[in-house]
Amino acid sequence: MSRKDILTKVNKVFSSVLEHNNFELTNTTTADDVDGWESITHMMIITEIEKAFSIKFKLMDLMNMNSVGDLLNTIESELLIN
Amino acid sequence: MRFIKNIQNSIKHNSSRNVLCINNTYFTYKDFEIEVKKIRYAIVNTIETSEKLIGLVTNDDIQTYASIIALWLEGKAYVPVNPDTPLDRNYYIFELTKTKYVIDSTKESIYKDYKVINSSTLQDLYQDLNPKDFSGDNLAYILFTSGTTGVPKGVPITFNNVEALVDAIDAEPEFNLNNEDRCLQMFELTFDFSIVTYLFPLLAGSCMYTIPKGTMKYFYIFKLIKEKKLTVLTMVPSIINYLRPYFPEINEPSVRYCSFGGGALHSDIAKEWSDCLPNCKIFNYYGPTEFTVYSGFYPYQKETHTKAYNGIIAIGTPQKHTLYLIVNENNEEVPIGETGELCLGGPQITPGYWENEERNKQSFFIRNENGKKIRYYKTGDLCIKDKDNDFLYVGRADFQVKIRGYRVELSEIEFHAKTKSEKKINMVALDIYNELGNAELGLAIESDTFDTSDIFEYMKTKMPSYMIPMHVRFIKEFPHSINGKIDRKELKKHFDIN
Repeated sequence: MSRKDILTKVNKVFSSVLEHNNFELTNTTTADDVDGWESITHMMIITEIEKAFSIKFKLMDLMNMNSVGDLLNTIESELLIN
Repeated sequence: MRFIKNIQNSIKHNSSRNVLCINNTYFTYKDFEIEVKKIRYAIVNTIETSEKLIGLVTNDDIQTYASIIALWLEGKAYVPVNPDTPLDRNYYIFELTKTKYVIDSTKESIYKDYKVINSSTLQDLYQDLNPKDFSGDNLAYILFTSGTTGVPKGVPITFNNVEALVDAIDAEPEFNLNNEDRCLQMFELTFDFSIVTYLFPLLAGSCMYTIPKGTMKYFYIFKLIKEKKLTVLTMVPSIINYLRPYFPEINEPSVRYCSFGGGALHSDIAKEWSDCLPNCKIFNYYGPTEFTVYSGFYPYQKETHTKAYNGIIAIGTPQKHTLYLIVNENNEEVPIGETGELCLGGPQITPGYWENEERNKQSFFIRNENGKKIRYYKTGDLCIKDKDNDFLYVGRADFQVKIRGYRVELSEIEFHAKTKSEKKINMVALDIYNELGNAELGLAIESDTFDTSDIFEYMKTKMPSYMIPMHVRFIKEFPHSINGKIDRKELKKHFDIN
């Protein structure tokens, strides 16, 4: 799966959990840039992404995930393992 | 006040040790002492002696913690307001407490209508940390919790109340912090659980680790436990509910105490969490804001102490000088084994809700016991006392729910939602459980679908974010039970959130 395809899927998860799409996700996007992305919705987003890609994140990766770029990298490497 | 004298001694004795770790920056007790002295100087030189209730904007910085201690040395109370809470609500709180002065470490304070002490730009130091002589009946803080009619309820706590809490915890041989401990401080300072997560470390000379704004709280907590090798955790059960999918990856031998409070702890998850912390004692604390944080605990141990009722871990026994009483509707004690409302008596009881006589009549009563008059607080929690004199938690008697540890009156949400709605329609706020077992708020609206953005914008100006419903459902006609009441159980079935 290309990074672009991954981003498209991630975009869908964000807009479905946050119930809006007033955001543009890039590598440097963080929670500060997206309305409603905070601790609780983050947990929902993570769960939905795991479902959408049929992957399971590791806690070590999640604890160092600070931006959308980190998120995409982790998804990419999880998909490679699978 | 003995406990304030003890804070002073602890600051002196531990001056080279760390007191706070905020976003990876460490501060020592010496740094803390300097901040306390600066803020105290400003308090003494700007605030009239007669002004006792001082606003405090709860930023995540050393000045905010130092402000609490500086106010206490002067026998004054802090009235905390969270900078992320709608300004309307915070102004309203200051109106209720007739607060004139606000301590704020923010560069540009937005509290223009008040006399602001900017705690981050102070220079002059007060000469010492000797506490002033003042009455233990003075207030130490006032916290506001959700109220049923859209008006937040103020809970004032006196210095005597706090002293009694410290005494009770000191008397407990199972729990002893020391100046080597590294403690999690995950709570906003407007939440009463925070009192124990800053006060006990300060008294012991331990270091507190806070959660910076903008971080993903649940993973950040794990990162702190792992990387900073935290030894003492104090948290609400929802934290471990969220971390539960990752338990197989967690093994943290550094943790020696883990205290829970602010919500029901379920036995299955307690067992699994206990497996993640091989060297840890787990305490299941109970206590409402009205009774100064903690009133007692059950010492959970996965092999020997697993007492539970309907899967919820017992709340155990009252701590030193606290009395538990389970009563029926007439405030009469019920026999052992019967469900009733738990009431608390003893020196940690609040003097009463802030300027709310009506509410005080409902929530407090006096009972004659062996010729003594004991004042009790009715918690609204249903409990059972068992044959071993352990107390078991059964559930709530009213429409109050816990959202991530915060007490929320569902009727307050309904009140604000209806206020803004042009159509006079039924709206019901509900607590819906997600697949991890955490409560999320839902709003059921008896109507065809319409745009609710106005209602939500309005609610966001009136209530903190944890009170804003995350799920909305339109239902043409609400289901009713046989006696004509809206059937909340049936309504909840419309919220399939998992």
